[in-house]
Amino acid sequence: MTSRSTRSRLWLITLFGVVALVVAMVVGLGVGPLALSWWHIIGDVGSHLGLGHSRLDSLESTVLWQLRAPRLALGLLVGAMLSVAGGTYQGVFRNPLADPYLLGVAAGAGLGATIAIVQIGDGLSTPTWTPWLAFAGALVAVGLTWLVGGRGTSATLVLGGVAISSLLTSAQTFVQQSSHGSIARVYIWLLGSLGGASWHGVVMVLPYVLICSLICVGAAGALDVMSVGDAESRSLGLPVERVRLVVVAAASLGTAAVVSAVGLIGFVGIIVPHVVRLLVGTSYRRILPLSALLGGSFLVLTDTVARSVVSPSELPLGVITALIGAPIFVVLLRSRTTASL
Amino acid sequence: MTSISISQLRVTAGSVPLLHDVSLEFGSGQWHTVVGPNGAGKTTLVEATAGVRRRSAGSIQIDGRDVASMSERERAQSLAFVPQHPVVPAGMTVRDYVGLGRTAYRGLLRGPSAKDRDIVAEVLDRVEITAFAERDVITLSGGERQRMVLARALAQHTMVVILDEPITGLDIRHQVDLLEVLRREVRECGITVVATLHDLTLAAQFADRMVLLADGAVQAEGVPHDVLHSPQLQSSYEVELQVVTVGGSDVVVPVSSAR
Repeated sequence: MTSRSTRSRLWLITLFGVVALVVAMVVGLGVGPLALSWWHIIGDVGSHLGLGHSRLDSLESTVLWQLRAPRLALGLLVGAMLSVAGGTYQGVFRNPLADPYLLGVAAGAGLGATIAIVQIGDGLSTPTWTPWLAFAGALVAVGLTWLVGGRGTSATLVLGGVAISSLLTSAQTFVQQSSHGSIARVYIWLLGSLGGASWHGVVMVLPYVLICSLICVGAAGALDVMSVGDAESRSLGLPVERVRLVVVAAASLGTAAVVSAVGLIGFVGIIVPHVVRLLVGTSYRRILPLSALLGGSFLVLTDTVARSVVSPSELPLGVITALIGAPIFVVLLRSRTTASL
Repeated sequence: MTSISISQLRVTAGSVPLLHDVSLEFGSGQWHTVVGPNGAGKTTLVEATAGVRRRSAGSIQIDGRDVASMSERERAQSLAFVPQHPVVPAGMTVRDYVGLGRTAYRGLLRGPSAKDRDIVAEVLDRVEITAFAERDVITLSGGERQRMVLARALAQHTMVVILDEPITGLDIRHQVDLLEVLRREVRECGITVVATLHDLTLAAQFADRMVLLADGAVQAEGVPHDVLHSPQLQSSYEVELQVVTVGGSDVVVPVSSAR
């Protein structure tokens, strides 16, 4: 139910999102210590489809398909999932400060990953089973939060999340400090990075992101109803408790999956939905799909910056997402009313 | 035509009784107004009737079916409730807000249908707010906002509409305007209205039946003229009142301050 001007604006922002996605793909695949021409990339893609010949040598082809392409795909998936989950949490809890880590996903995943890393002592690499332990930790954290506050209101659930997060963060710090040799690796994991991206990681994360995002986007109309509060939503005919359980479970599961793959990437999940809200209004039927589109592109672009400015080493991705995202958000915030947040 | 039957209703907050053993019949196609002093239990009564507040004992039936046994969806298709302080989410258009009234008719994963849009447009027209359908809800005046909330309730297409203090904070013109819209719905569509009001004079002018509540119990019930002339009126409000007739209508005038 939108007016003509709102629809025009929506199309414009969608077009912007598609352009941003194309730019993110071009930059994500082409930019790096080994510069790849966009035309050569297209030629290589064409050769894989049986059209023409590739002009990339084997090293370039390996960099493109084994390093940058999975990194691009994972970046799109992670950015989309974190943005959709953040927007979903903001809607279901009617709280503009909500982010995907609200119910303890970050603390639980952090504890799981820290246990995994500390277990191999002073080794140089992060164990391959770190993502699994992080995933399990995230799910245990959300499960505990639900046990503590799930039977009450949204506020009790959020407070349960605060309590469980604090508890698990303390445990994580304790485990981390018990092994000085692995502190650096724990911190690197906690700061988040797409540096370890592989097709295996993409395949692992893809079903979670697809299913969980679709559930959240599908429930966007219900989130719009919930903007009038639990009591009124119920009197309008919405099964509030059931909707909250389903969307919180989907958002948490999706977040747990991407966090286990890339660590804790901050800022994207809280800011992208707010930027989209400032651009297209408060309906979650518009916010969530566009957050997926823009969130993925945003993360790929910031990742390209993170791996380029001090190449060949990399800056923590969370630092760059905040450094680039915060000014954009402030400009938008100052140009529009904050009442719509 | 839909009637509401309340039997031995008891509501408590912790150990504090808010309503005790209230039994009432809200006949179909009529306007019932609940009056009483602050703290009488008016809001508790309408919230319990609407199913948004749990009761400790008793039954509330709509056309023979207990409200507590209905799912949220079934209840929202049977009765619409306008709370005393509705949440008005900033950034939402009036049209979208009124469209929330169609929630009970949509699948969880589905957006508004063409029928939903038609019903919303028709309701906006009926309560005369089509002109600002595309405006942000927070830009509305108090009177416009109350009409919008009423429109949302009417979009639920129920035969029962329950309202808690719908005219609080409005000037006299907007109070009368809103009550006129409601009266038209009762007369033309045959809906049953249950509303709490503080203004006894307006309550008497618009209601078919009146319930006087005090201390969580029914003190008097009947046609407005009888309730206003009952001895329980003054004892309930603890103030001396005089009921005079002006132009054929009862007008309630306080004579002195509280004892």
